[in-house]
Amino acid sequence: MAEFLQYSITGVTVGMIYALIGLSFALIWKSSGVANLALGGLVLIFSWIFYAMLVQVGLPLWLSLIVVLILALAFGWLIERFCLRPLIAQPILSLITVTLGLEFFLEGLAVFIWPEMVAGLPPLFPIEPLKIGPAVVSQAYVWAAVISLILFGILTLYFRYHKMGIAMRATADDQLAVQACGIPVTSIFSTSWMLACVVSAIAGILISSISGLTHGLVETGLKAFSVVILGGLDSFIGCIVAGPIIGLAENLGSGWLTPIVGWGGLKDVIPFIIIIVVLFIKPYGLFGEVRIERI
Amino acid sequence: MGLPCGTYNYSYAKDMAILRTKTHWALFIALLILVFTAPLYCDNYLLGVANLMGITLIAAVGLNILLGYCGQLSIGHAGFIAVGAYTAAVLTGTFELPFLVGLICAGLMAGLVGLFFGIPSLKVKGFYLGIATIAAQFIIIWFINHLSITGGFTGIAVPYASIGGFVFDTEASQFYLIMTIAVLCVFFAKNLARTRIGRAFVAIRDNDLAAEVMGINLFYYKLLAFFIGCFLAGIAGSLLAHWIGFMNAEQFSISESILYIGMVIIGGMGSALGPILGVIFIRLLQQGMMFIAPMLESAFPALPAGFASGIAPMLFGVVIVLFLVLEPRGLSHRWMLFKASYRLWPFSY
Repeated sequence: MAEFLQYSITGVTVGMIYALIGLSFALIWKSSGVANLALGGLVLIFSWIFYAMLVQVGLPLWLSLIVVLILALAFGWLIERFCLRPLIAQPILSLITVTLGLEFFLEGLAVFIWPEMVAGLPPLFPIEPLKIGPAVVSQAYVWAAVISLILFGILTLYFRYHKMGIAMRATADDQLAVQACGIPVTSIFSTSWMLACVVSAIAGILISSISGLTHGLVETGLKAFSVVILGGLDSFIGCIVAGPIIGLAENLGSGWLTPIVGWGGLKDVIPFIIIIVVLFIKPYGLFGEVRIERI
Repeated sequence: MGLPCGTYNYSYAKDMAILRTKTHWALFIALLILVFTAPLYCDNYLLGVANLMGITLIAAVGLNILLGYCGQLSIGHAGFIAVGAYTAAVLTGTFELPFLVGLICAGLMAGLVGLFFGIPSLKVKGFYLGIATIAAQFIIIWFINHLSITGGFTGIAVPYASIGGFVFDTEASQFYLIMTIAVLCVFFAKNLARTRIGRAFVAIRDNDLAAEVMGINLFYYKLLAFFIGCFLAGIAGSLLAHWIGFMNAEQFSISESILYIGMVIIGGMGSALGPILGVIFIRLLQQGMMFIAPMLESAFPALPAGFASGIAPMLFGVVIVLFLVLEPRGLSHRWMLFKASYRLWPFSY
């Protein structure tokens, strides 16, 4: 029972971070219809930048956080302006592959600047473990989940009440109509990329504060695709529901199946198996909008 | 000297021919002779590069059929190559079956795995399919690492290819084997595009709903595209296994898959020439970087330590993005433009 609780709590909290990465995907998909496959690269690069600011430069925590967020905004703007904007109205395949090229570039950049593969962040949160019933959870997990939830709340409110958020939703609905209303679509796109970069930066910092900083963070970013696929691509609620489900499946599955089948590393493959299963059964996810196509 | 003012065709067969004039034939045969006599005047290093290019070309031709002709995105091509490579490795290494049996089985196995992961393509497309194939890549590599028959993380040794007692144990002999199969594959792909199947693929790429309305069986043709594409990937994998002699799942990472997509895009999607140009471009770039990066590193000690290993992926990323932004139709389109302007020179049109 204690084991079950332990796995569940870890799973749900890590799942919240996955949900955050998924949220960053949904932000871009919702407003501009671009599938951002460079998520892994973004998560990777921002967590390493955070490490560089905090440890290598030696800035205080709040300042390095601010620097990372500003850099994230700048990155988002640059990516949208120079990679995505020239490709507006190109086939979807080009839009997907341009983000793949971006992913390649960001991974190379991380190796270029930080060849040392593995690094440790100093603990960002108090290290005394929390006791929940019989389970013992490190505070970092709980904090990460709380921060994810807060961000989720802020973004939901932003999309519901803020003028820019409403404009973003409108753009997702009908670009032509939005342009006719005098909303600058291009600035909507760059705002969504900037927001998405900020969200993935925070997710990267949270996940690297829990599980250490390696170049394998790219795979964490790729795992988050199972969240968006399960939740439905264009749904925030989908992300926040599917994230913990993926986290739970990952942790419970590997915790229970590993002793039975004797294979290690099940954790790394369960999200991908979930992707395949979801695509077979319910390809548009739990909350996704089913698109009906016409010729 | 009488210059021809056009190419006249007196029969339908002549009109359909790939090589239409005597000059075409002469150039084509000269090219073949040039390629197949390469071992006479190239050293082992160059032959090794050529072998890698030949193997890559077979896989890229497969991806071009899938992505360029049929429009089905596959970001897991390295995974399907791995299936072929390990099938060949296990069959010829552990079970000591002949090379040709291993080659065919590698293709079939990769094709079947591709069929399975291609099934979602019936319901979804674009990004969803990309994700499905990324998942396929990770699942395949994970299984290779955890099954006992594939040697797990330590890898598996593969014997040299041999046909009827002749062992392909030098770079030169392997060059002949690989180039023969590569030429056959390019020939197959070029002709496939001209058949009913190829035209159905193109129709599906351009608009799959319209294609279905016109009587093309989507279920059949989409899966056929996956099967053919992955079959060629499996063939390439088998040759790769015999060429390297040692298989480890790290050779088939997701970056490799992205690189294959890059090759097809840089070369030009949906043309027979595209994969050839793309493969030569990317592999030459890779070799050039391997050559130049250490030199730059020793010349400029101020460069960060990760320069040599990090610069190549950065460059590939930039090249892919630049090609998509500036020349989405790839190098083969440039070649067409060059040919057209050459034909009309000195007139502009």
